[in-house]
Amino acid sequence: MASSIGTGVNQLSQLWEWIPFSKRDWGLLLVAPGMILFSAFMLYPIVFLFYISLTDATFAGSVIGGSAELIGLDNYVQLLSDSQFWTSMSTTWLFVAVSLVIKVIVAVGIALLLNHARVAGKRYMRAAVIVPLGFPAIFTITVWRGMFSDARFGVFNVVLDQYNEAVLWLGSAVDTVVFFASVSVPQALLVDVPVGFLSGRWEAFFAYVITEVWLAYPFMVIIIVSALQDVPRELHEAAKVDGAGYFHRFTTVTLPAIRRPVLFASILTGATSFQQFLIPWVFNQGGPSRQNELIIVYGYREALNFNEFGLSAAILIVAIGFVGLFMYFAVKYGRLAEGVADK
Amino acid sequence: MSWLRSSADLLRAKLVSFATAPKRAVVLVKRAIYDVRNGDRSVFDVAASVAMTALGFLMLLVLLFPLYWITAASLAEGTRLFNTDGIFPDPSTYNLDAYRWVIFESDFFFESGDWGYPTVALGGNGLLPVSFEWAGTDTGPGALFNSLYIVSVTIVVGFSMIVPAAYAFSRRSFIARKRILYGYVLFTQIGAGLSIATLVALYSLFSTYGLTNNLFILGLFYAAGAIPFNTWLLKTYMDNIPVSYEEAAMVDGASFLETIREIIIPLTKPGLAVILIFVWLAGWNEFIIAQTLLSPENYPLSVELYNLATEGRFSTPWTRFAAFANLFALPVAIIYFAAQRSVESGLSFGGMEG
Repeated sequence: MASSIGTGVNQLSQLWEWIPFSKRDWGLLLVAPGMILFSAFMLYPIVFLFYISLTDATFAGSVIGGSAELIGLDNYVQLLSDSQFWTSMSTTWLFVAVSLVIKVIVAVGIALLLNHARVAGKRYMRAAVIVPLGFPAIFTITVWRGMFSDARFGVFNVVLDQYNEAVLWLGSAVDTVVFFASVSVPQALLVDVPVGFLSGRWEAFFAYVITEVWLAYPFMVIIIVSALQDVPRELHEAAKVDGAGYFHRFTTVTLPAIRRPVLFASILTGATSFQQFLIPWVFNQGGPSRQNELIIVYGYREALNFNEFGLSAAILIVAIGFVGLFMYFAVKYGRLAEGVADK
Repeated sequence: MSWLRSSADLLRAKLVSFATAPKRAVVLVKRAIYDVRNGDRSVFDVAASVAMTALGFLMLLVLLFPLYWITAASLAEGTRLFNTDGIFPDPSTYNLDAYRWVIFESDFFFESGDWGYPTVALGGNGLLPVSFEWAGTDTGPGALFNSLYIVSVTIVVGFSMIVPAAYAFSRRSFIARKRILYGYVLFTQIGAGLSIATLVALYSLFSTYGLTNNLFILGLFYAAGAIPFNTWLLKTYMDNIPVSYEEAAMVDGASFLETIREIIIPLTKPGLAVILIFVWLAGWNEFIIAQTLLSPENYPLSVELYNLATEGRFSTPWTRFAAFANLFALPVAIIYFAAQRSVESGLSFGGMEG
């Protein structure tokens, strides 16, 4: 009995030596549970999604029931010839680019203002400005949909109406002052209300961008402000003594300090924008007439509204591939994973 | 319960600081007037400061306009929100009817607002010989309890996997460390959108294994999605704690667990606060997967909120929606408010600057 246990232990220790795992590596055991959970719920579905994309599945039941058949890359071929795919792809990229540029400008502006020596109560303002981060996305997006309402009395239409009145009032004031000629307000300055924010293609796109910027700016502001606070005051003082103007100081002192954090925040929020689903979905389901379907919305609708599971899976695999590629280059060239290699 | 007291203290200190802000503002103004009179500051100098502050305020007003609008809306149940008089409801008609509706009629706390109270009885065939039931309600607990259940699973599972992993990444070297960390960084931003992207596959998989309509599994799923980003975030935070602290403690005879308890945990508190908020939000806010996988009696608050928003294709019941959403966001807002400084320092990503 004792000897059999002995051989068992012996075999076990042989097995132990065979595994490329030394005592030094026990840290892996701390990481493994998270990895396993992540793989089970995230990586495995991606693999399965890829499998679905190779079949002619039409709805969930056909995948589960096994009636779907492998058809190779047909779905991908069909995708390339689908004009809706190209519309969706280009709209998505445009959305990412436009919203990213506006986001960076807005966030840097806010961060500079909230870090400016002349602004009193900065601390409170900083606390208030990141409040949107605390609200659920579905809530803020629905509120923005309400504000962008097509209705005559929607918030933005009322604001535009008031803008029109202000312009007209200004025009009549100018008209009164300039008594020798009659002045009328040029039509170009007036907005044709009500604007159908959600029923026009570019109006809706514009509404998406504004909302996306509003959702993402708090995160960027936090990161930029904390970078700005780490800039030694002496640097600014020294630059001032050397006679550098505000703009010069901005480009030589401030910009180098916030360049990396801005890049970093851009990469993260850019990748999120690419996968934006809720804004188009809640606003008008990617409408009007499927012109604004961002890539994930497109895939989702193909699956659930048009019962094209296989095609939908192919779309989503392409989307995941793009984000993966984007993140790969971002990590590689943006030195995001700088901490990875230093041990 | 010391953590409860310390966070209550923190919250109180914050509130006091906010309550005394006007007084400090008055002092600031008096000081400025004094300086101008004494000739220490020129009028232009003061004017420039006032102008910049005003600009800051204006920006804040514009940025927070949607929140102000929706809060005003939540106080105006029974009045027409969109009318000819402008975009804000008349303050004289403010009332709390919408909140009353959320608490006593909606499914927020109890289904159909039929309040009950918990009773504990000995006996029962669970793991513990104690059974727990709701009494005094005909309909049972509502969406809040589903949400809390999901979030507790997400937080407990998430923390028990994120914190040790972040420690290992930050302090230990082991095989495949670089590869795994690299993979995590790649996946940091694929979280939220990815779960929708894989929804098609998820639905099929969950149905096959009979895991749909299971709150525990859903909590696990959210925890899994939160792992890469939060592990990485906490790891970068821990990297900023000098190793020499632990070494010094080791020299003084502290055991491994003691260094964890006395050095690592206290010094990573801001980082832990941040990931607590992120992990909480991961479970609290998501609704598309929840809506697809759960059946109506198990809907969490986020799904109820979405359903409220899309009740009619063109007419969201704004006042009720706003009241519901404000109560929904309240727990997060409180945590956030209390831990704001931690959030800011925890999100600064240590070595990212420069």
